Amino acid sequence: MLELERMGELPELAVEAKGLTKRFGNFVAVNHINLSIRRGENFGLLGPNGAGKTTTIRMITGVIRPSEGYVRVFGIDVARERKRALRYIGYMPQRFSLYEDLTVEENIRLYGRLQGLTGNLLRERVRELLERFYLWEFRRRLAGKLSGGMKQRLALATALVHDPALLILDEPTAGVDPPLRRKFWEHFRELNREGKTILVTTHYMDEAENCDRLALMNRGRIIAEGSPREIKRKALGGDLVEIVLEGDLNPMELPGVRSVLEDSGGRYLLIVKDSGRDLPRIVKRAEELGARVLLASPVHVSLEEAFIRFMGESE
Amino acid sequence: MSLEEGIRKGLRIIPIVDKEIRQLVRDPKTILMVLLMPITVTILFGYGYGGKGAGKYPITVVDLDGGDGAFKFIQELRNSKMFDIKAIYRSKGQGFSSVYSGRVYASLVIPETFTEDLTKGRPTRVELYYDASNPSVAQMIMQAVGVVTQQFQEWAADRFGTFAITPMFYTVYGPKVKKIESFIPALMAMILQMVPTSLISVSICREREKGTFEQFIMTPVSVFDIIFGKLAAYFLATISDAILSLFTAMLLFDVRLKGTFLDMTIVSTVFLLNSLSLGLLISVFSRNQLQAYQASIFSFIVFMLFSGVLVPVDVLSSEARLIASFVPMYYFVTAFRSVSLKGWSYLMVVDQLTTMTLFTVAFLVLSLRFLRMEVT
Ligand SMILES: Nc1ncnc2c1ncn2[C@@H]1O[C@H](COP(=O)(O)OP(=O)(O)OP(=O)(O)O)[C@@H](O)[C@H]1O
Ligand SMILES: [Mg+2]
Repeated sequence: MLELERMGELPELAVEAKGLTKRFGNFVAVNHINLSIRRGENFGLLGPNGAGKTTTIRMITGVIRPSEGYVRVFGIDVARERKRALRYIGYMPQRFSLYEDLTVEENIRLYGRLQGLTGNLLRERVRELLERFYLWEFRRRLAGKLSGGMKQRLALATALVHDPALLILDEPTAGVDPPLRRKFWEHFRELNREGKTILVTTHYMDEAENCDRLALMNRGRIIAEGSPREIKRKALGGDLVEIVLEGDLNPMELPGVRSVLEDSGGRYLLIVKDSGRDLPRIVKRAEELGARVLLASPVHVSLEEAFIRFMGESE
Repeated sequence: MSLEEGIRKGLRIIPIVDKEIRQLVRDPKTILMVLLMPITVTILFGYGYGGKGAGKYPITVVDLDGGDGAFKFIQELRNSKMFDIKAIYRSKGQGFSSVYSGRVYASLVIPETFTEDLTKGRPTRVELYYDASNPSVAQMIMQAVGVVTQQFQEWAADRFGTFAITPMFYTVYGPKVKKIESFIPALMAMILQMVPTSLISVSICREREKGTFEQFIMTPVSVFDIIFGKLAAYFLATISDAILSLFTAMLLFDVRLKGTFLDMTIVSTVFLLNSLSLGLLISVFSRNQLQAYQASIFSFIVFMLFSGVLVPVDVLSSEARLIASFVPMYYFVTAFRSVSLKGWSYLMVVDQLTTMTLFTVAFLVLSLRFLRMEVT
């Protein structure tokens, strides 16, 4: 359907950033970051306020110029061939950026026309998006008069008007109530299934768990990158497991154990290299050492926990 | 047909014009600026400078008689509430020059023998020297003088016996135009500069301020689309402004312009495009709406000072004349004066039109060059 797709496949890398840097005067908002987002991936960019997420995204969409480095979207250099790259990008900025004095339908229509749609195709596309995002009954309402959640739905619909292969969403669920947030993430998964690549920022860690891969930013740098599971592992230096046993032994003698977080008379919280592989070996070894294992299970670590640890380290 | 095949390349001006007009129509500020302001300014000007301001015609009186009869007649003129007597002279020369110079519409001369004729019951006369270049006003003044003379005659007849006072009318040609007519070019210059420039000057920086620019530039619009789309939309919205003001002046103040409607519209359009281009340039360089308004007002003040609207450019210092030559409004005022008051065709002011267009092109080229397709 897309130009490149018709000629073959879209390139494997949806976004490739190298040495991306943005300075505002002496202040370095984004500091030599590298990013690779694979086609079809749901990629989350996390970080505290002021970390540089929006600035990074704005350089990827080309609405600000990098001080250093470059960004390629599906292989197209955004700074050099912005117009061509735009064909593949749908963008939902952090701040609501549609015309408040135009109606819901007028906004989508306007963007459809600006993207180059006309006639029946335009009409159908507008209708399809209005229905898909439950905006049909509000289509004649001025965008300025919408609730926060409806505004976000309209912004998402507008970002999709030209059926982009890459969706870039800057805090799409900020100020959205929990049921609607869930609905939003269902939409994202659906879009992922359609083959779209998503780059999303959020402050909600439960949402970030849904991403295929994450990058953690702080003070303009990427301090960790990987799947949610990998990130947690990196934060703790391994997986967290809980062991309860009868008998006396030194937990450091157990296989795979890297550190002991807690030791309270038979109940241990341990960091192991890989819980899936190490837990059976730990049980076996403990019993060999004459202890009776009552419980051995991995402990769920919240992303938040990992996040805070990383932040502490990077300070 | 797939979405991909349906996507058109090329200009995006029409959707931008459509959007801008929708926004303009929904903005109460537009109604205020485009409709109310020009009419208000025209009416204010009309009352401020128009002859009918307080319902009185400014005239002067030349009292060669100096007697009680003349005194009584002058009193009668005042009582009639139709005249605003600016001065009473002792010589005809002074009276004439007050008309020639255009300060008043007419000068009424009371002859030497007026009181004597009156008391002896002899027929006598008063002489009205009126400015014929203003026929409608002249007509009214003659009628009013006729009425006053009639009343005076009745009063005098009671006391001194029957006789006749004949008003005599003489034409004088003052400067061709005056009062409201002469202010029409200035009025049009103000309306065609202030409203369009300030209205369009916020159009781009408002998008930056409100954040809509960030989404807008994610579409394949070009700098060209934005500049010309906005120019076209605001042109459509403000051209009514010019025409409306002309009509208001003509209807309310009986302004008789010699120029044809077509010629005046052509000259106005050229200047309107110039004002809009200047506004766009201001918008390209302004960080926010406040800055844009300030820049528009500043440019307006400079334009007013150096366009010959307040003070004729010829009497300014040579430095000031140099500045004036860079003020597009100066060329407009010159051209519009010739067209509206002298009845010239637009072809005869083609020099001024060309100069204005050169400024317009320069403003547009600079706007295209410096409009950044970036946020912050
Ligand atoms: N135009 C600008 N001029 C100067 N400084 C800026 C500009 N834009 C952003 N910054 C600074 O750059 C830093 C990163 O900002 P950015 O908006 O990218 O953060 P963020 O991670 O998106 O934060 P948030 O979660 O609050 O949205 C901040 O300190 C911000 O103040
Ligand atoms: Mg942000």
